[in-house]
Amino acid sequence: MDKLKTTSWIILIASFGSILYALIFNPISWIVYAISLVSIPLFILSLGLVAMAKGSKDEEEEKRREPFIGY
Amino acid sequence: MNLMSNILLNVTIAFLVGSLLFGLQRKIMARIQGRPGPPIIQHLLHTLKFFIKESAFPVTAAMPFYIAITAMLCVIWVAAVIVGPVTGGSLLLIFGIYAIQKIVEHNAGSSSGSPYGKLSCVRAVYSAAAEVPLFAVLIIIYFKTGTMNITSLINYQSVHGPLILALPLAALMFFILIMSKSPYSPFAITKGKDIVSGYETEHFGLLRGYLMISESIAWYMLLWIFLTVFLGPLSIFAYLIGMVIISSVIAFINATTPLLNPNHSVMIQVTFAFIGIVGSFALLMI
Repeated sequence: MDKLKTTSWIILIASFGSILYALIFNPISWIVYAISLVSIPLFILSLGLVAMAKGSKDEEEEKRREPFIGY
Repeated sequence: MNLMSNILLNVTIAFLVGSLLFGLQRKIMARIQGRPGPPIIQHLLHTLKFFIKESAFPVTAAMPFYIAITAMLCVIWVAAVIVGPVTGGSLLLIFGIYAIQKIVEHNAGSSSGSPYGKLSCVRAVYSAAAEVPLFAVLIIIYFKTGTMNITSLINYQSVHGPLILALPLAALMFFILIMSKSPYSPFAITKGKDIVSGYETEHFGLLRGYLMISESIAWYMLLWIFLTVFLGPLSIFAYLIGMVIISSVIAFINATTPLLNPNHSVMIQVTFAFIGIVGSFALLMI
């Protein structure tokens, strides 16, 4: 598993855990706001990073060989 | 209801309703242009589809800023949901959120390394000069009602009637602002097809899906603010009807109006802002 996938899994679990914490324990308002602002966006992003398809190794090599034309 | 579940429910509703309204807009635009158009659910399906597509990050992208800026867009519109439907907080915070939206457009374009993104980033600054004064129309509401608090504004309107009748020019200005955030709008110069997809050109795959989620929430929130601030206390059903009507009117305008040149777009918006501000103050003094 590459670095991006590992980081994404950690963020996914941490954000999901914090949302569950706020749902179950109902802490004071400002903590819930902080959790919502940080965890909801991170949860969606990390879910996407975990779920996104990855190209095969051969395709990866092909893409690298393609010359970068630059901007 | 538990506060966290209230926030999650409102964010989910904002995303689903916003996505369906974007789909409805595309459908109406297509019908006006004599095409069958995609199904209404298409925008929502696209958003979800992008999450499982293969994603690659361009070598020219400024990492991790290129990814972080997409999260920033989501943060600000989740904040808008908390300030709006969840707590009925201050309009000033919504104004701040909208100002950050312009910064996100600017930075998403510049972080991608694409020339289209960079051009869009310049246009974001340019359009901010017109859109931020349009949003500042909320100050007129303060002069009329003496409050910037959304809950107090709803209470004010339940006593004095809808503000759209007292401040029609202010409502028109806000409508122009909403229209500028609609895809294919004559004022959507930051995402104009002349620069491919503007600041979103290099954000594809999951990052595009992520941006689309935030944009759907943003669309729902802008319509929610318009209906709440100018029409007052509404039932859930009235909110939905209002959102469908505004989205349909905007779809009609978008379908029949080409994308304006950036200069013309900004000048027209500034003209509306000028007429709205001067006219509204004149109406307040009468």
